[in-house]
Amino acid sequence: MEDMIQMDRAMSTEQDIKISANGVQVYYGENHAIKDVNVEIQDKMVTAFIGPSGCGKSTFLRCINRMNDTIDICRVEGDIRIDGEDIYDARVDPVQLRAKVGMVFQKPNPFPKSIYDNVAYGPKIHGLARNKAELDEIVEKALRRGAIWDEVKDRLHAPGTGLSGGQQQRLCIARAVATEPEVLLMDEPCSALDPIATAQVEELIDELRQNYSVVIVTHSMQQAARVSQRTAFFHLGNLVEFGDTDKIFTNPEDPRTESYISGRIG
Amino acid sequence: MSNLMLVLIVLGLGAVGFVLGRSRAMSVAGGDRRKLHSLPVYYAAHVGLNTIVPALLLLFGWMIVQPMIINSSVSGMIPASAIEEGGNLSLLMSDVRRVAEGLDIAVTQGAMTVSEATNLSADADNVRDKLAAVGVALGSDVTTDTLHAAQRYRAMAATGNLWKSIVAIGAALIGMAVALRLTAVAFRARNVVERGILMVLIAAASIAVLTTLGIVLSLIFNTVEFFQLYPASDFFFSLSWNPSFSGRGGGSELGILPLLWGTLYISFIALLVAVPIGLFAAIYLSEYASNPVRSFAKPLLELLAGIPTIVYGLFALLTVGPMLVSVFGDNGALGVGWMQGGTAVMTAGLVMGIMLIPFVSSLSDDIINAVPQSMRDGSLGLGATHSETVRQVILPAALPGIVGAILLAASRAIGETMIVVLGAGAAARLSMNPFDAMTTVTAKIVSQLTGDSDFASPEALVAFALGITLFVITLGLNVIALFIVRKYREQYE
Ligand SMILES: Nc1ncnc2c1ncn2[C@@H]1O[C@H](COP(=O)(O)OP(=O)(O)O)[C@@H](O)[C@H]1O
Ligand SMILES: [Mg+2]
Repeated sequence: MEDMIQMDRAMSTEQDIKISANGVQVYYGENHAIKDVNVEIQDKMVTAFIGPSGCGKSTFLRCINRMNDTIDICRVEGDIRIDGEDIYDARVDPVQLRAKVGMVFQKPNPFPKSIYDNVAYGPKIHGLARNKAELDEIVEKALRRGAIWDEVKDRLHAPGTGLSGGQQQRLCIARAVATEPEVLLMDEPCSALDPIATAQVEELIDELRQNYSVVIVTHSMQQAARVSQRTAFFHLGNLVEFGDTDKIFTNPEDPRTESYISGRIG
Repeated sequence: MSNLMLVLIVLGLGAVGFVLGRSRAMSVAGGDRRKLHSLPVYYAAHVGLNTIVPALLLLFGWMIVQPMIINSSVSGMIPASAIEEGGNLSLLMSDVRRVAEGLDIAVTQGAMTVSEATNLSADADNVRDKLAAVGVALGSDVTTDTLHAAQRYRAMAATGNLWKSIVAIGAALIGMAVALRLTAVAFRARNVVERGILMVLIAAASIAVLTTLGIVLSLIFNTVEFFQLYPASDFFFSLSWNPSFSGRGGGSELGILPLLWGTLYISFIALLVAVPIGLFAAIYLSEYASNPVRSFAKPLLELLAGIPTIVYGLFALLTVGPMLVSVFGDNGALGVGWMQGGTAVMTAGLVMGIMLIPFVSSLSDDIINAVPQSMRDGSLGLGATHSETVRQVILPAALPGIVGAILLAASRAIGETMIVVLGAGAAARLSMNPFDAMTTVTAKIVSQLTGDSDFASPEALVAFALGITLFVITLGLNVIALFIVRKYREQYE
């Protein structure tokens, strides 16, 4: 394990950095929610955001696909680049960006449509399929990536809301994957799931790492330790510490990280 | 003693019972409330309720029964000859009651002493003038028979009232005593009081249900009576509505179809106006409007729902009708000459549509708002634009609820009367031209029952048959609408 991390680190040259944020500030009206955060997120790796609730993890995550644009009072400053391109540049269409940066939410939120239509929604909107056969193929591929194909292949036209919580969340992951994103943002994707469903989703996240750069917000430190290679610890809007997961959990530098991990703040 | 006074006394006794019950409970517990089964306030409420409820029930029962007994006994006194003179018994009895009340008023105002009032004679004293002096106007001179009956009425009412007071107050006192005796450490006062309150709640609920039932039953009985005078098949299938004026009788054609056609045609046009406008307004308000705009525009739109329909009717008659004629009339802007007069299906339909806009928009707005934010986030997070999100996720999710809202609006449209009376005319007609005057079921119910109508004639009774048909239609729509709305609610729970 130690060796692998060393390898990862050796490989993390400039090209491997998928997302880089510099001096990011977020305000909700008067409330300064994110204070001067700098972070570099690598490709094909799982990065976990941890920290006590209200520290700004979700807020920062939503900066990466500009979901904060949908909140009237929210103001984002600073510079966030994906593959070197400033996503807050006036020429960038947030709608296109969100196809490239998929998002999975805390509570499974399948649309009240069939399983098939849930997955086909994104590809249809972005015109990814030329015909029905292609669309079928995309849907199947996404459902396989979401590790739910076998469970739903016989009832693709049943409503997505009829699935169990864990299945719904994997459906939502499949839905996000269907638009061929490069980055997958997950905001506490397991907090509404039972332990078995959580284990399934965690396994899935580990597989998704092959193809995507995954950023996951979690309030479970065990989960962060299990699924991520990098961990960022947020506290009161500040990014306190960022580094290899193993290091953060075994040998944190900042006393605040140390006390959060040992359960003294949170 | 007046009834109000009695009620106040009973309530006062109840308050006394409340206090006594509390102190009795504390004393049986030796001052330690923990020994009691329930909190002291429940013992207090138990005594209070036992004092008030039976006494008031008795009082109300008495108030219903006493006039019936007195009426039947007094009307037995009136000789048959007097009934012939006075027209009929019920008219005479109302005279009797008026005289009796007038005498009571005279006594309370001090215009007569008690003995004067009891010893009046119809021949010697001019009772009519005397009563007129205290503000009770009578239609004719008071005959000896009437005066006797009135005196008898007063005497019976006086004893009745005395006994009523005794019984009510007695019941209150007995109730209080029994409840106080029951108060003991182990007595489950809370359970008893809660059961009592449950009864009150059930009674309140049954009043609503029973009233509805009563209305439906009266509709049914009258309709049955109508169908005995007029064949049901003609009513449901005849294509013409042509009642002869009451009095002459016979020869009326009372087919519902032309009226139903008018009703449905006007409602259809109204929905054609209200549904798109209301729905678009709802989408704008719930999805696009900024908070200040929304908080200003929504109440404004809902204000439309507060305008009395008669005002809409005037608007139809005085503004919309003439406007339409100036466009579609003989010398109108289009020169098509489709419209002969201001009153038409189109006039009423347009105005009714405006009236329905807030129904559709307000309900749809609520329903669209009830679609969880997570649906919007999910769609936006996949890179859908706002309008794609609205069209492909929010509206489909809200659709069942919106259909429910539209059905509720439809049942409103079908039951609407005033706008039709003023805007659509009174001619029952089966025509396709929306610029023709037509009329609806509701408008015809009004016209069949206004004026001097004899309630035993089919021309009047048809109103009940029309009413029940309308009731069945709107009930059906409401049931379907509620069913859909409820099913939709479950989707997100
Ligand atoms: N939509 C919003 N409007 C206003 N303030 C918000 C909103 N979302 C989050 N905040 C504020 O931003 C801060 C960070 O919240 P959040 O990012 O949700 O924290 P976390 O996800 O770490 O629990 C909190 O103080 C919260 O009150
Ligand atoms: Mg959060």
